[in-house]
Amino acid sequence: MKKLTLFAGLALASLTVCAQDVPALLKAADKYRMSSDNMQVETQISVFNADGTPDKERRYTVFAQQKHQSLVDGGNQHQSLVLMQSPAEKGQKVLMLGDDFWLLMPGSQRPLRITPMQKLLGDASTGDIATMSWAEDYAGTVTGEDRCGEPEQACLHLSLSATRKGVTYQRIELWLGKAKHEPVKADLYVQSDKLAKQARFVMDKPAAPTAVTAMLLRDQLTNKKETQVRYLARKERTVPEAWLNPMFLARSPALE
Amino acid sequence: MRFAAVALALTAASSACMGQGAPEFSGQVRPQWFDQQANAAGPLAQATGLQPGIAPLPASYGAVETELRATGHGLGFIGTLQQQRREGDRLRSHAWVNELYGSHEAAAWQFSAGKKIVGWDVGYAFRPNDVVEQEVRRTLLSVTPEGRPLLMAEHFDASTAWSFVLVNPTKPRGQIGADEPALAARVYQRDGSVDWHGFARVGAHTGPSIGAALAWVASESVELHASLRLLAHADTLVSDASGATLARTNPWTPARTGNAAQALAGATWTNEAQLSLLAEAWWDGSALSDAQWDDWNARNRGLAALIGSPAPMAAVAGNLAWQASAFNASTNLRRANLFARLSWQFEKWQPAVDVLLTPADRGRVVTGSLGWQGDRVRVDAGLRLYGGPAEALLAQVPARRIGYVAATWSF
Repeated sequence: MKKLTLFAGLALASLTVCAQDVPALLKAADKYRMSSDNMQVETQISVFNADGTPDKERRYTVFAQQKHQSLVDGGNQHQSLVLMQSPAEKGQKVLMLGDDFWLLMPGSQRPLRITPMQKLLGDASTGDIATMSWAEDYAGTVTGEDRCGEPEQACLHLSLSATRKGVTYQRIELWLGKAKHEPVKADLYVQSDKLAKQARFVMDKPAAPTAVTAMLLRDQLTNKKETQVRYLARKERTVPEAWLNPMFLARSPALE
Repeated sequence: MRFAAVALALTAASSACMGQGAPEFSGQVRPQWFDQQANAAGPLAQATGLQPGIAPLPASYGAVETELRATGHGLGFIGTLQQQRREGDRLRSHAWVNELYGSHEAAAWQFSAGKKIVGWDVGYAFRPNDVVEQEVRRTLLSVTPEGRPLLMAEHFDASTAWSFVLVNPTKPRGQIGADEPALAARVYQRDGSVDWHGFARVGAHTGPSIGAALAWVASESVELHASLRLLAHADTLVSDASGATLARTNPWTPARTGNAAQALAGATWTNEAQLSLLAEAWWDGSALSDAQWDDWNARNRGLAALIGSPAPMAAVAGNLAWQASAFNASTNLRRANLFARLSWQFEKWQPAVDVLLTPADRGRVVTGSLGWQGDRVRVDAGLRLYGGPAEALLAQVPARRIGYVAATWSF
């Protein structure tokens, strides 16, 4: 009888964990990177070799926008306009509208349709830079509780699968702080279900986190390089609808 | 240039008060070396063999190009300074304005005036509907093209864009190619994974043309594109000389083609390892026909047969040199063309190899290249080889081999 009670208790505890509202957890986690639906984010990418020596550095301005549409139309859609700001890439732009992507190279003034695979090009893929939320693109379950992070803390372990094909990672194993649901770490899997990158999230105030200040990505596919994605500045900004027209890429939007 | 300055002045006043962001400046400096080997075959080689110096042959050269860019307050500028020294020549400097324009928004329309790059169409190696800029394709190094003088009105909403362009408005009606005054329009419609484009153009002397294009992302890794243009006329060159008749002046003179069609179909495939394959096939009905090229080859043979005859060798050499004019008759030498490009992005390195084939005469151009991209410096090197059977056009063009190396410092 005692065994039966223990088993029932364990099962109930497990059910309690699994029954947590995953969409609500993801929305809570998203708030640490996207405090508003429509943002302008200044991002710096620093890539380090496996031995820790600096490899390269890039700057980006990201306009991340949420397009609200009905479930019939596919639900809410991420829209991101990424402007490359570093000397080596100045003038390049990438536009992401849900699963659709365009690239503009400086000089050509001709927007070019690209595939999701072409979007992956580069150490820090454009998807890593432009994607700052999970709630709209992933569904899954809470698989259990772990200890994770530095300093170690109680975490919820979520197994997530993409709900649309255009996302950079088709599967994510995500660990959130149990108390505040801030992102702590993630394993990111590409289409072929290979582990592509492992991510760690750096919070502004570890004891009482309010925002992610950096994301550290370790490449697991090829070169074991580490990419540091630092969020230098964030502000709420809704851009005109025309800016998200692929043909508008040939124009120069005002950054403020 | 004068048009660009006037148009700029007109828009500058209205744009300056719009507060369109702080001015931004950037640019690049690119030292480069091109090693060109002149072809030992073809009419130009035969001409210079008979009479050295009768026509310039491809020569190796070194150059430094400095490009400056500035945008802000509704104005845009790109300028280039080039210092070049060809083998056996002195250092020469050239400067040109790639873009100088003003933009202004009014009543949900975007207006631009000045000299501007306006690139249209969906292809890589050939763009039949690039009717405004008419950019040179398959260059060895990525270069910023020189924009066209124009007045442009554009309207954008979430998924549709309209563009109306009056290009070369102040140039004489008789100008040819990309300098021809023309009115052009484009409509763009986004439909999920498909981009649709419609084009129309009325040239001052080439008349109307209409076109359509689409780009479709068919899967995670495959993109398909196609483009079609139907045109009333195109600028070309025709020869009124045949056989071995010696002409007194260049027999290749400007002319207009009749109705013609241009069409392209292509696909790109990219995998997770960042390996990418591009394949395109196109038809250019404005290029010289196979029959015209047969006549050209026959005349070359006839003129070559005069070598050693009592005919004046200077006249034979001149006529052979004029035969090379045919290479400038249109964008493509042959009407049917096939192109493939394989490239790989591996960390900072990008090796690539591409080949252009002309099935009509089995001519080919093979290009291999290697690029390296650092934080501020990019290094490019490559080699292009022209070849094919003896009577293939690509085996008779002025250059046989072009090697290059360039370093680009961006700021």
